[in-house]
Amino acid sequence: MIHDFRYVRPERLDEVLDLLSDRGEKGCVFSGGTDLFVDIRAGMTTPDYVVDLKGIESLHHLSFDKKEGLSIGACVTVNELIQHEAVKKHYSILAIAGRELASHQIRNRATVVGNVVTASPCGDMASPLLCLDAEAVILSNKGSRNILLSDFVTGVKSTTLRPDELVEKIIVPSRMIDATGGYKKLKRIRGHDLGVVSVALLKRKDTLRFAISSAAPTPVLLPDFPPSASVEEVQAAAQQAISPIDDVRCSREYRAFMVNVFIERLMKGAE
Amino acid sequence: MVRITVRVNGKEYTREVVESRTLLHFLREDLSLTGTKEGCGAGECGACTVILDGQAVNSCLILAAETDGSTIETIEGEAKNGKLSRMQEAFHNHHAVQCGFCTPGMIMTIKDLLRRKPKPSRDEIIDGIEGNFCRCTGYEQIIEAVLDVTGQLGKKEGLRHVR
Amino acid sequence: MLPVNLEKRKDSGMFGDLRSGETRVIGKRTPRVDSIAKLTGEAIFVSDMAFAGMLFAQVKKSPHARARILRIDTRKAEALPGVRAILTGDELDYRVGLYMVDKYILAKGEVRHYGEAVAAVAADTTAIARQAVDLIHVEYEKLPPVLHPLDAIREDAPLVHPQLGNYDYIDTAFSPIPGTNICNHTKLRKGDIETAFKRSEWILEREYTNPSVQHVPMETHVAIVSWKHDDQVTIWSSAQSPFTLRNLFCMAFKLSHRKVRVIVPYVGGGFGGKAGIHIEPLVACLSRKAGGRPVKFTATREEEFSLLPCRSALTYRVKTGVSSDGKIIGQKMTMYWDSGAYADYAVNVTRASGYSAAGPYEIPNSWVDAYTIYTNKPFGTAYRGFGHVEFFWGIERHMDLVAHAIGMDSLDFRKKNALRPGSVTLTGEKIEEHTGNVLTCLKAAEKAVGYGRLTAGEKKREQRSGMKIGKAVVALHKAPAMPPFTATGVILKMNEDATVTANLSLTEIGQGTYTALAQIIAEHLRFPLHRIKISQETDTDRDPYDWQTVASKGLLLTGNAALLAAQDLLRKSYELASQILRAQPVDLDHDKDKVFILHNPEASVTFREMAVGYAFPDGRSIGGPLIGIGSYIAQGLTHLDKETGQGLPALDWTYGAHGIIVEVDEHTGEYNILKVASVFDVGKVINPDAVRGQAIGGMLQGLGTAICEGYIYDQEGHLLNPSFTDNKIPTARDLPLEVESMVVETPQLDGPYGARGVGEHSMIAVAAALGNAIQQACGAELTHMPIRFEDVWRSLGKKEPIDNWITKSPFGSCKSAPEIRKNRPVQ
Ligand code: FES
Ligand code: FES
Repeated sequence: MIHDFRYVRPERLDEVLDLLSDRGEKGCVFSGGTDLFVDIRAGMTTPDYVVDLKGIESLHHLSFDKKEGLSIGACVTVNELIQHEAVKKHYSILAIAGRELASHQIRNRATVVGNVVTASPCGDMASPLLCLDAEAVILSNKGSRNILLSDFVTGVKSTTLRPDELVEKIIVPSRMIDATGGYKKLKRIRGHDLGVVSVALLKRKDTLRFAISSAAPTPVLLPDFPPSASVEEVQAAAQQAISPIDDVRCSREYRAFMVNVFIERLMKGAE
Repeated sequence: MVRITVRVNGKEYTREVVESRTLLHFLREDLSLTGTKEGCGAGECGACTVILDGQAVNSCLILAAETDGSTIETIEGEAKNGKLSRMQEAFHNHHAVQCGFCTPGMIMTIKDLLRRKPKPSRDEIIDGIEGNFCRCTGYEQIIEAVLDVTGQLGKKEGLRHVR
Repeated sequence: MLPVNLEKRKDSGMFGDLRSGETRVIGKRTPRVDSIAKLTGEAIFVSDMAFAGMLFAQVKKSPHARARILRIDTRKAEALPGVRAILTGDELDYRVGLYMVDKYILAKGEVRHYGEAVAAVAADTTAIARQAVDLIHVEYEKLPPVLHPLDAIREDAPLVHPQLGNYDYIDTAFSPIPGTNICNHTKLRKGDIETAFKRSEWILEREYTNPSVQHVPMETHVAIVSWKHDDQVTIWSSAQSPFTLRNLFCMAFKLSHRKVRVIVPYVGGGFGGKAGIHIEPLVACLSRKAGGRPVKFTATREEEFSLLPCRSALTYRVKTGVSSDGKIIGQKMTMYWDSGAYADYAVNVTRASGYSAAGPYEIPNSWVDAYTIYTNKPFGTAYRGFGHVEFFWGIERHMDLVAHAIGMDSLDFRKKNALRPGSVTLTGEKIEEHTGNVLTCLKAAEKAVGYGRLTAGEKKREQRSGMKIGKAVVALHKAPAMPPFTATGVILKMNEDATVTANLSLTEIGQGTYTALAQIIAEHLRFPLHRIKISQETDTDRDPYDWQTVASKGLLLTGNAALLAAQDLLRKSYELASQILRAQPVDLDHDKDKVFILHNPEASVTFREMAVGYAFPDGRSIGGPLIGIGSYIAQGLTHLDKETGQGLPALDWTYGAHGIIVEVDEHTGEYNILKVASVFDVGKVINPDAVRGQAIGGMLQGLGTAICEGYIYDQEGHLLNPSFTDNKIPTARDLPLEVESMVVETPQLDGPYGARGVGEHSMIAVAAALGNAIQQACGAELTHMPIRFEDVWRSLGKKEPIDNWITKSPFGSCKSAPEIRKNRPVQ
């Protein structure tokens, strides 16, 4: 790599938290590295040291239980998530969206938590997780806090995470099990690409819930709709909530348009 | 510098390595295993694909330091005792190689795919190699090579002569 | 019969015996000769090479499209331990250029495009070199850039090269206009265009555009150079043109050719981007300054997009006059080629496109003005198709639009106007039976996609998906773009075991020519294929000359040289055998192992016995190593008249056609490509799998151009998408659901076994096929490619098209161009 840094691989969580709180220098924690090393190579970040979380056993935990729901540790990869039986069965929307994230090789390394913490507006995991009322469990030397993902991401690549904090895991509540839904993503080619714009739908008995990515600085969660809601109603709410921009990937206009198209497709269960 | 020990294609290597060095550069420069290629350095093209502890990964986005204690498979381990692997043989027979720069990564990706899915359908092959750019072949002859190796090719359409 | 016994044969010229009859190796399925090395990872590319004492280079690049360089401060960089050489433009007074000598090795005084090299460092490691480059401080005075070629030809446009009038250039082919940004104006005048328009029943005029794109060889440009004492220069380069590279290098530095050696090992793709000369002179100067130590420069993927050249953007205006019965009687064609900051190949792209601008159609009265225009953008170079991919987007879209306008089926319209024996091309060349057959290609493509109707299955599919299916058939042609005197040589060396090693310097960049050449040599020698080796590495010190590996001319020219070399080898074998066997050469024949007397086959001598000289039982010897030499030069071509464009530029014409089926969502503009069927008149198939590989690989590259690829600039000329993040290329999932490859074989009279080249053709007109089929499906009338879903949607909704290739508002992605995008919003 063009930029030099040190590499640390602690084996205990408290070591990581100490590192994060003590050092005056710039450090980055990572697990998959699929965003971090791209950014370092591009000169976007220049950390003095990087902290590999993979040495910490507990962060690899991916577990489901009917009471606690789904717990996704910081080192759980996207492929681990989408291949997990309970995920496929109870949280299918995660499996559907996860499959859309980059290529198989990348999914073998990229983590679910990392995809959320990076807080890129085009991340694929955030919108389905928002729909599922997922929470981040955040640790620091001073203790822990839980925060709803919808409150966690505050802007383009920015979150409420403080420099001394670490997202230990993401918890998807058990009340969301067996919700169905889908994920539609506009890409520039059929092959792997960032989402030019994407919409997630979570369907439960009594509600429809939509989240939209790449159409605003943060993923946007729409207010709940009753199952009887009309397509137009949802579309109108979506257009209110999003603020897409023109960029090299797409125009604002087409982004807004495709959000409506995806809402309709998801509601009609097309494809 | 950190000291790491890795098993590459069944051989153990212990080396002092610069902490910021990628696995890709470690393989190519420190171990002189230049079969694995760099096409972008950014996780987009798959030319750098190796199998790390049983999983296909982009070695350009992994630090060598992360792989201490790991088992790594690269293209150099594919042909054994002067004999091509069945997949290599099929690539050879089907012209699945043109310039050859994507080839090592492609072979490793497919090796991993076939471990997971011994008889992938055409669509599964396509999804499996999605992360490997090939600018030369248009992929078709690569797909045919995989279908052939998995006994699914049937009669190859081939080049048709018309008058 | 004996190929060497020409005296005895009455029926033909030099290759007459090659044109007919059964072949053993030619046309048969056989693996590539180079695939095993590539499959095992053993093939060594320049990017894999390292030498003792080697230094690593990095380049300081311009963040501006146009700026005056006020000051370059290298002091901090010089102080950095491990830095061995630093260069700025001030100390390099050399200009290079293929056709127009207009480029300094490092920018001097002024930068002319974003990403241009302004300084360079060689250091012990890449990391140190990078650090040093960051420490070099360049002070610029920003100047307003000129970005669009149509702006650049306005009276008041800033001049990218005020010195244009003083540059050396090849004046037999090009016509710069000093005092403007036009570095070449190619003219073609045939018949009487004004009268033709007056006589026309219909006249339709349209403009078609496309942006610049990147070749994307998977191996980026890389070179290692060592410049030793006494100006002994060795260059290892991932290059397509070892000899042209050497020639241009020697011209730039005023060195004797004998001092400079270029070596090209395996090359990880080129597609035209590695033709000519690029980073080698800079790396060479670094080595010279570092006391001769080898210096290596490997372009990053991002550098590949802007430090190195791209394919030119084009604005193409076509005005067509058609008679009442659907014959084109006059056509006026105006091309504005965006050369970017330097002329490089773009001037010749302009010239080559100029003379085939109408496509494979007969246009009795035609008028072409093709301009190559300097702008402040990364410069254009050769790219597979050499202009044809770009202008065929226009001409084949135009054929459809004209047909619609006059109420004729577009395929009928094509057939009616297609070149056929007796037709005369734009430059006045008469088409013969053996030139090739456009009509057969069109008909084969028509049949393969079921043009003109939907099958029951397709109708069902439409109902199921709610999408509309459209079909189109387009034609294409291309001749090699090269000087009329393009030449090449092949040397065949018989080894002790009667195997044969071929030395040549056409490079193998993936296109498969080495396999075809091995087949040609094996066929002609009557040897089994495995006894032929084409030496992989090319070396200007050791291999015979070849102009360049470009233009789809390698198979024909080097193929012929290989045949001549094989003949020469046989002739020498026969001469030697005639002494050994005491027989006249005319009475000899041979098989794979031996030369024997025709009427007394028992009397024979093996090739093994003769390979390096024949020794009689008593030890006395004759002969010596058997070496066959073949030299070939393009035959019968002429320069084009500068005023009328008339002359003979075409070595051969390869014709072809694509048929395509797409389905389009009329509401959203999304589309799927269901099938592409391609057909080419290749003259003779040497290797069916190789032809198919070219056909499909080129088609998908053509689809890349058609669906997504393109450079996006902001108003200041920053390239916003110089990486795979925002410059996508097709993946396996982008392959059409079905592909079909077909060939027609109308033998090329002067082609080896009748073959002609097909390396570029598969990429040509694919975009137009897609555009036409989309229009057929849903009515979207597109005149710009690539065709993004949004473009179709805009067209259908009658919305203002977005031409955002020089964008007004949009933002780049931060990963794409970090240095200029850091603080802007991203999505
Ligand atoms: S080099 Fe690793 S993905 Fe391109
Ligand atoms: S063979 Fe050249 S990139 Fe795949």
